[in-house]
Amino acid sequence: MAFNPLDQKGTPVEDQFRNWSELNVEPYDKHTVDPYTRTRVILMNGIEVESIIFSHQFARNTDNPELLRALATNRRVDQQQQKAVNGLNPGEQTPLETTIGYEQVAVDLTAWLARHEPDPYLKAALDFALLEDFDHLYRYSNLYDLLYGGHADQITQHLTEIMPGRPTSAEHRHPHDEIRRHFETHSVDPLSRLHVMTIVAGEQQTMNFYMNHGTDWIEPIARGTYAEIAMIEEQHVTHYESLLDPLDSWIAMWLFHEYNEIYLYWSMMQQESDRRIKAMWELNCNMEIGQLQVAADFMRKLEGREPAELLPPSLPDTPVTFEPNKDYVRQVLAETIDLRADGLDYVPLNDLPKDHRYFRYQEIVNEGGAPSDLLVDQVHADKHHEYRDETQGEHPVADLQATVETVS
Amino acid sequence: MPTLTPTAPFGARSAPQEMTVVDPARQLTEEERDRFLAGTGLNGPFVLDLLSDMLTHERCGAQLYRSLAGRTNNPVLKRQYQQFGEETVEHVDVLETLIGQLGGDPMYVSPAARATEKSGTALLESTFLLVGSIDPMTQELVMLDAVLLAEAKDHANWSGLAQLVDTFPEGEVRDHVRRAVDRVEPQEDEHLGWAQDMRAKLIELQVRSGALAAMGAKAEEAMARIKDWFS
Repeated sequence: MAFNPLDQKGTPVEDQFRNWSELNVEPYDKHTVDPYTRTRVILMNGIEVESIIFSHQFARNTDNPELLRALATNRRVDQQQQKAVNGLNPGEQTPLETTIGYEQVAVDLTAWLARHEPDPYLKAALDFALLEDFDHLYRYSNLYDLLYGGHADQITQHLTEIMPGRPTSAEHRHPHDEIRRHFETHSVDPLSRLHVMTIVAGEQQTMNFYMNHGTDWIEPIARGTYAEIAMIEEQHVTHYESLLDPLDSWIAMWLFHEYNEIYLYWSMMQQESDRRIKAMWELNCNMEIGQLQVAADFMRKLEGREPAELLPPSLPDTPVTFEPNKDYVRQVLAETIDLRADGLDYVPLNDLPKDHRYFRYQEIVNEGGAPSDLLVDQVHADKHHEYRDETQGEHPVADLQATVETVS
Repeated sequence: MPTLTPTAPFGARSAPQEMTVVDPARQLTEEERDRFLAGTGLNGPFVLDLLSDMLTHERCGAQLYRSLAGRTNNPVLKRQYQQFGEETVEHVDVLETLIGQLGGDPMYVSPAARATEKSGTALLESTFLLVGSIDPMTQELVMLDAVLLAEAKDHANWSGLAQLVDTFPEGEVRDHVRRAVDRVEPQEDEHLGWAQDMRAKLIELQVRSGALAAMGAKAEEAMARIKDWFS
């Protein structure tokens, strides 16, 4: 049955505050957790963080006391939701294990969105960054092996393959090649808007996580790898946020944020295998509906618009789903591994002129070697193998097939 | 019922530009643009974009009046905003019909329309984003300023189209344009004239009124004064 959040009351925002013990939730068990429960936790934490950051930005652009009070109230609740969601991550899960979870999110979320994205340009943007995050999963998995002898498949449970993507050292581009065209807010498919907002939030959270956790290690190779990949996440946030239409009003953006949160919590509810965590998604979904009603009231009052004029008549039928995307990723690898960004478009590497800024930028940042390459070299040297989890056979790109023994 | 916010589920379309990507399924094709007023000797694609721009301005105007009618504290202004708002919705209808009659798609949002919407949004936001640092009487003036600025462009749009009527080919096309202009232009004269006069009156009222009493009584006293304006 079609579900239109505007027709629901949800939980009134003033009834949404919780006490400290309610926020201090019991974490999941990292040894038994469904990997996709972990990815759902990581994604929804990022969604709440984006909502909070957006709300702060909005607040810095108004002195309307009613708006400020409403934003502050919704934001306080979002902060509580973020604490409860992020609190599901156990302390015994190391930052590197969490990082591998982040990259599993990046791969399976991006691939799923690309598979369901109706607009070919937006799909290409997702496919392009997908291969880069896919490579990050491979690099961090090798770091895990190098530092701790850990096998990343214990975290990913073979649901996501682990092997090279577009090599991280090749992902460093001049900033001018990170900007994309944006969708047009009137004619965009409502699903596309939700996809872009979701991936912006996810990538932004990954960027923030690496910005803060890059110094958790003593080993220079780990610190260097985090610094390098954190810079790619900055590129990805730039890449994805430029897909958003800057035409929307502040209140419209607020409304879309609340709507997307409802869509995502509703999505997470559909697939959650952990009953306790499913109840959290359901609780938060009802809270977001209450928050949507606040934004909707401000739209009516201050903008003279009915929110139903902007929002689709119902949530998309298909929930955002964490599931294996192995065949899809292999297909994108085989077809687009050699693409590079050139201005607003993508071109095969061989089509870039020799004096293209891509090569100049590469020379500058990779001078002396890229940590992500040195890391794999060090694994080869120290362990005489490299870590991969190729469940569907050898790598679809001949140049990226293993040249040393692999372990998984 | 005219469309005040075009969206994809209801057929909104646009045209890709340097920085704008539009799903091919929702693009206004070059052929469609070229077909608009083809054979009339006029720059059809430009006229199509212009009419879309005018339509968007009316849509923003309808929004503005709905918002202001709900927020003004003066009953006279409220009634006027409501009346002009209803007339502006009619203008949306007139333009949607005209674009359709000329062979265009009223759900097409042109690049010019997008720029107009940005300024319309900023104008509307100027009436509420900074109210915390504006006293209630000045808030009324800010709202009226938004009306004046919006109506100035609206008036220029319709008087400009009126001047162009005879450049459209004689016959059905010209008749459609003339009928639209004849229906809307007199109301635009009235809207702009009212906004200019009312602004002058409002300023004069405040210039001639005594200063407000002590700080504590200010808000209440201001509301009472606003309510009594023009009575």
